[in-house]
Amino acid sequence: MREGPLKREELWRSLEERIDAPAFRERLREQYPHLAAMALQPASRRGFLKLLGASLTMAGLAGCRRPEEPIVPHASRPEDREPGVPERYATAMDLGGAGLGLLVTSVDGRPIKVEGNPDHPASLGGTSAIAQAAILELYDPERSTSVVQRDGGNRQERSWADWTSFADKHFGSLRGTSGRGLAVLVEESSSHGLERLRFEFTRTFPEGRWVEYSPVSRDAARDGGRQALVENYRTQLHLEQCRVLVSLDADLLVHHPQAVVNARALAKARHPDAEVMNRTYAVESAYSLTGAMADHRLPLRPSQVAPFAASLLGALLHAADRGAAWRQLAGVVGTPAAPEGTAEIRDRMVHDILEHPEQSLIAVGVEQPAPLHALVAAVNVLLGTTGHTITYDLHADPRVPSHLEALGELADAMGAGQVDTLLVLGGNPVHDAPADLAFGERLQAVDTAVHLGLYEDETSELCGWHLPRAHFLESWCDATAFDGTQAVVQPLIAPLYDGKTAIEVLAGVLAGDLPPGGRDLVRWALGSTDDATWHQTLHDGVVPRDFQPIPSFPALTARDETGAEVGLLPGIRGRLVDAWKKLQTSLGGPADGLELQLRPDTRIYDGRFANNGWLQELPDPLTKVTWDNPVLVSPADAERLDLSTNDVVTVGSGDRSVEAVAYVMPGQAEGCVSATLGYGRRAVGEVGNGVGTDFYALRTTDAMHHQAGVTLERTGRTHDLACTQDHYPLDPIGESGMERRLGDLYRSAHLDDYHHHPDFAQHVVHHPPLDQQWKPHEYPGHRWAMTVDLSACTGCNTCAVACQAENNIAVVGREQVEKGREMAWLRIDRYFRGDPDAPSVALMPVTCHHCENAPCEQVCPVAATVHDHEGLNVMVYNRCVGTRYCSNNCPYKVRRFNFFKYMDPETDVEKMRFNPEVTVRSRGVMEKCSFCVQRINTARIAAENEGRTLKDGDVVPACAQACPSGAVVFGDLNDPESRIAKLFADPRSYAMLGEMNNRPRLQYLAKVDNPATDGEAVAHDEVHGEVEGDHGGDPGGHH
Amino acid sequence: MVSVPIDNTTVEDPRQRPPQVLEGVDYATVTEKVCSIVERPKPPLGWYIAFAISLALLGLFGSMIVYLLFTGTGVWGVNVPVGWGFAIVNLVFWIGIGHAGTLISAILFLFRQRWRTAVNRSAEAMTIFAVACAGVFPAIHVGRAWLLHWFFPVPFQQNMWPNFRSPLLWDMIAISTYATVSLMFWYMGMVPDLATLRDRAKKKLWFYVYGVLALGWRGSNRHWMRFERAYLLLAALATPLVLSVHSVVSFDFAVSQLPGWHTTIFPPYFVAGAVFGGFAMVMVLLVPSRQFFGLKELITMRHLENMAKILLATGSLVGFAYATEFFIAWYSGNPYEGFAFINRMLGPYWWAYWIMVSCNLLAPQVFWFKKARTNIWIMWGVAILVNVGMWFERYVIIVTSLARDFLPSSWDYYMPTWVDMLTLLGSFGLFFTLFLLFVRFLPMVAMAEVKSVMPASVKAEGHHRPLGDYWGDVPEQHDEEGEWTPGRGRR
Repeated sequence: MREGPLKREELWRSLEERIDAPAFRERLREQYPHLAAMALQPASRRGFLKLLGASLTMAGLAGCRRPEEPIVPHASRPEDREPGVPERYATAMDLGGAGLGLLVTSVDGRPIKVEGNPDHPASLGGTSAIAQAAILELYDPERSTSVVQRDGGNRQERSWADWTSFADKHFGSLRGTSGRGLAVLVEESSSHGLERLRFEFTRTFPEGRWVEYSPVSRDAARDGGRQALVENYRTQLHLEQCRVLVSLDADLLVHHPQAVVNARALAKARHPDAEVMNRTYAVESAYSLTGAMADHRLPLRPSQVAPFAASLLGALLHAADRGAAWRQLAGVVGTPAAPEGTAEIRDRMVHDILEHPEQSLIAVGVEQPAPLHALVAAVNVLLGTTGHTITYDLHADPRVPSHLEALGELADAMGAGQVDTLLVLGGNPVHDAPADLAFGERLQAVDTAVHLGLYEDETSELCGWHLPRAHFLESWCDATAFDGTQAVVQPLIAPLYDGKTAIEVLAGVLAGDLPPGGRDLVRWALGSTDDATWHQTLHDGVVPRDFQPIPSFPALTARDETGAEVGLLPGIRGRLVDAWKKLQTSLGGPADGLELQLRPDTRIYDGRFANNGWLQELPDPLTKVTWDNPVLVSPADAERLDLSTNDVVTVGSGDRSVEAVAYVMPGQAEGCVSATLGYGRRAVGEVGNGVGTDFYALRTTDAMHHQAGVTLERTGRTHDLACTQDHYPLDPIGESGMERRLGDLYRSAHLDDYHHHPDFAQHVVHHPPLDQQWKPHEYPGHRWAMTVDLSACTGCNTCAVACQAENNIAVVGREQVEKGREMAWLRIDRYFRGDPDAPSVALMPVTCHHCENAPCEQVCPVAATVHDHEGLNVMVYNRCVGTRYCSNNCPYKVRRFNFFKYMDPETDVEKMRFNPEVTVRSRGVMEKCSFCVQRINTARIAAENEGRTLKDGDVVPACAQACPSGAVVFGDLNDPESRIAKLFADPRSYAMLGEMNNRPRLQYLAKVDNPATDGEAVAHDEVHGEVEGDHGGDPGGHH
Repeated sequence: MVSVPIDNTTVEDPRQRPPQVLEGVDYATVTEKVCSIVERPKPPLGWYIAFAISLALLGLFGSMIVYLLFTGTGVWGVNVPVGWGFAIVNLVFWIGIGHAGTLISAILFLFRQRWRTAVNRSAEAMTIFAVACAGVFPAIHVGRAWLLHWFFPVPFQQNMWPNFRSPLLWDMIAISTYATVSLMFWYMGMVPDLATLRDRAKKKLWFYVYGVLALGWRGSNRHWMRFERAYLLLAALATPLVLSVHSVVSFDFAVSQLPGWHTTIFPPYFVAGAVFGGFAMVMVLLVPSRQFFGLKELITMRHLENMAKILLATGSLVGFAYATEFFIAWYSGNPYEGFAFINRMLGPYWWAYWIMVSCNLLAPQVFWFKKARTNIWIMWGVAILVNVGMWFERYVIIVTSLARDFLPSSWDYYMPTWVDMLTLLGSFGLFFTLFLLFVRFLPMVAMAEVKSVMPASVKAEGHHRPLGDYWGDVPEQHDEEGEWTPGRGRR
């Protein structure tokens, strides 16, 4: 990680080596003349002892696991490394074939915190919950630690040398046969290095088979795009310009490859003070975060989403005349009827889209059929959205065939005995391949199966060889963002468990004249020869890319000599007619019986993060369930089936069935049950094994996302789900009490009301004047405060994991969560509002409010929680005796108590993940949000060293830094020019429970939503489910 | 005045004040009756059985505490938001029980309610033991019990004062003051009786033990004058404590801002509840003891009836407080407060609320009828119900308020664990162990005081034992053995 005059060959591994280096002597003389003199003279006794001491120190330093290749740090590098001073390096994370640029903080060679890379287009400084949790995965003591060879039931630990000697022989002989019978199965990746190695692979093993499979893929979107448009392309969404967003079961905010920037853009578009505030419609089966953001949400069972979409397209195409091509397409689509009861909202969408055709966007979920993607893509182009809400990136989407087809072919070949050697590089197909492929069984028939994985998992157990994979934070690799921007994945630490990356293993197998080692492979793959550029790339984390979208692309329409549009290009027209025909066959009324929808999980994705305690204990944003994946049932279905939350049910589909726990989910489409994939792991580690239900067991190649004719039967048993909220169903008293206060706590208004009464949030709760009984604290220096913009917050949970990582917050386990003892300093409250069948959702991040009149401070008998001179409500851990009185008296219940010794790392590796700036709390102590006081102090020290005062933006707490939508703002209220001071003065800004005179320093910016309200439109009560009296009174009455 | 023999002390006859002791009891029999309990060489089997059970429960208490301290507060059912559970419920419950003792001793003494003499000793003992039980809970309920000394305003290496604004600190000061004064009061009142035991002691060991405890009491006029003045002063000192302890305990809740806790009615309401619960506990203990130890002549039906009347009065007071809370919750217009009380009554903890109301408000209403007031079975049953009800009152106040406070997202349900239950059970072990030791080794009725309220006509009798009905076989008097007679008794 050292930059400077040293060349690679000058790296030293021992003191002797180092002393001999002339460059070292030179530097030594410059910096430490007395040392240099000593080093140059043969040792005196004293000198010898000093040297001895120094070498011991150096030996200790060598113990810090730093990668040995020189890398250039991102930020201003200190003259030399200072122990304990955190440094940040740029790297990237590849998930689902899209790279996310990161900056990782490293202390003394230990990466401890992940942040987004502001220079990376997929991050812009934000991150996702999964990226934030990467640190815990890196230090997971249950990751596989050695090469393992299996022969039947016999497990033998081997070394990499054993593997190499085996591989040389085995693949050497395969080279002779052009790789007949060899197959490589990789998971979806955006790595250019892997891509280049694929070419090498086809060169070396022309008869070998290369298969890419991930259980969560964008196959349908990709195929649909190909059908509608000439080229392979990628749709780049620009939601910040979007005035009307129609989401057809599209998840734009969690599993979209650009979810992080989408959140930011949508928050911008939905800012109440935007010129035209965005209106979002969501049509979906299970509640998603996109649905939670939406102004109108239409719950539809999966089989009805495509018919609705078709009807929407038909109605849209017939509602206006936008040229010849438009008319042609209208002729193709006709006017399909809308599913029952949805015509009104459809017409509303049509109306709104046509009001802002160029600033509208119809987004289709990846689970929807490819023909629908094709038709919608064409309509989006014809609406004129190109260059406004969508641009098209010519960077070809990887040309791989559909994952499903490829894996199916591979499985067939394996079944037919055509595969002798299978190299599984990443992924876990035995767990996550469709059940009807019987991948596990077929894998056992393969002579030589090799699995490279982070864990010795289900697939490893059936493979002859298991190779430990290096975590991305210990790897050299590269990742390509969804928009084509390349970034280098550079290691923050030498592999803890001697793992290797996919490209290293593959390069080893291919042999030939490939560069040795990961770093050189990456340089070779990126074609980076010039040192300066390479260092700059490492520093920035992104490869500079000069790409201008072509405004006329994609061209769908034919034009005559005058340039006037005469209709669709014939080829395009043909393809769209085909698409429509294909779509039509799949349209129909609701399927009989229940439908099942399978989705990736918002936390453990496809199951790969199942052993990550931070993610397992992270509540699902909408169900608030941790450590489980319940099957979501709508209230109406639950009543019909006589089910309630926590009932264990048998979910049957065809001749397959699994047992799962039911969760009655308001807003779930009637007739549809939903579940997430990835749970029910059998071999991942103590954390993840046996958690939840394996829904892959129901997934088949012909029904990857939706299945009809599913049965749900009660087993009569119950299993308590560990929820962080609503631990038990509320009784009528609780319901009514909650409803009555909800409008006071979570203040919201429709856009119209907001325009008439911008200060509506100030008039929700009325109370007598709040007098100060005693002389209030004075804050001559800084007054730290935070705001959370409820209009911008998507509820994505990123802040919660960021907080956990930054503040060494413990994972307490399922039973403790069930008892209400989760430790999250920052939680996101979720309330449903309105009609249980179509409720709206209020999401509200809550953490310590740092009240100026803090109720907790007064009651602590030992003064363990006190007020500091800048208004922070600080917790003195070593003074705390644990009466829990402060928590009882906290109206926000943000304090967390260590009921046991939760933080008890058993291995040294686990201890490495701690942020050294934050005390690790012991048993019997209360803890809570500190506004990241360690970051305030770091910034203060830095400012003092530079001889200046702190300026706005110097201090960014972990939650604010991680937030993809910029909903969290932190700063100094004493600085009138600061963002926070302006936001506190914003009329939307209100203090939750401020009537208690506790003067919180955390304020919320009230939510403003934008449902259709005019007369001809759908009454919003029906669709949006807004409750009367939400605003706790008439906001206008007080002007 | 004509002395009319009265067997039934509960008759209200305006012509004559009913005697505090039954006819036929004279000074000597008082001494005999009370001292015989202590002087028996061996207590009967029943005592051993009771003691064994109590000791087992005490052992359970100890092991639960050890388990707690070694494992963590998490062995209990507490969580966030319900940070206080059984431990604090038990604390308030035991402190409440500890109220009757001082009330009987001090306030009734100042009001010259002479009927208190028969019951005050055991009531005071009960106070001390209940406070001892109560004192255990705040100590063990904290997360780091080994740092409890930080509560005290004493200089430690951290060089920090405790937070004097915290009600928990006031609470600790109030309880320790109360415990100290109650102990002094109890002990001082016992000095003349200890001297009697010393004088009657047959064994050297007991002679010295009681001798040391008697502080050289010789019954001189000067001793009596000093004693009575000191006793009066202590009574005056203890009287405000009766009001203050539970008022301060109630501040733990009233000073917070939790709906359901933040109520100005709490101090009087808690005091009334404490007197109520304390008297019920005195009844629970005395009804069987007077039967078992043959003290019916000293602890007469009139005493019990008076206590039943107090139960009726304080129970109704407590009921009134319940109603007032509801009224104020509605009248204040505070939605959170209003919800807290509706939720208390009809929410998930409705069962606890209705147990509380039936036991505390409804059950004592039977005492409007004299039949119920004079039937020991009914009295005993109601007293037990009242104790159950008072325990649930604290449970309702503490748990239901915490379980559903301001933000519905934090609402949760508190479920005690087996450790919670066994710790509560074990605390009764501590209480009864101490009480059984007390009845075995100390005079459970204040002999000197009882004698002072006896009609003068009966004191002339000499040294004899006219009535049977002593507790077991009374040992031979030592002076008859003629072995060792260092100083006879005063009479």
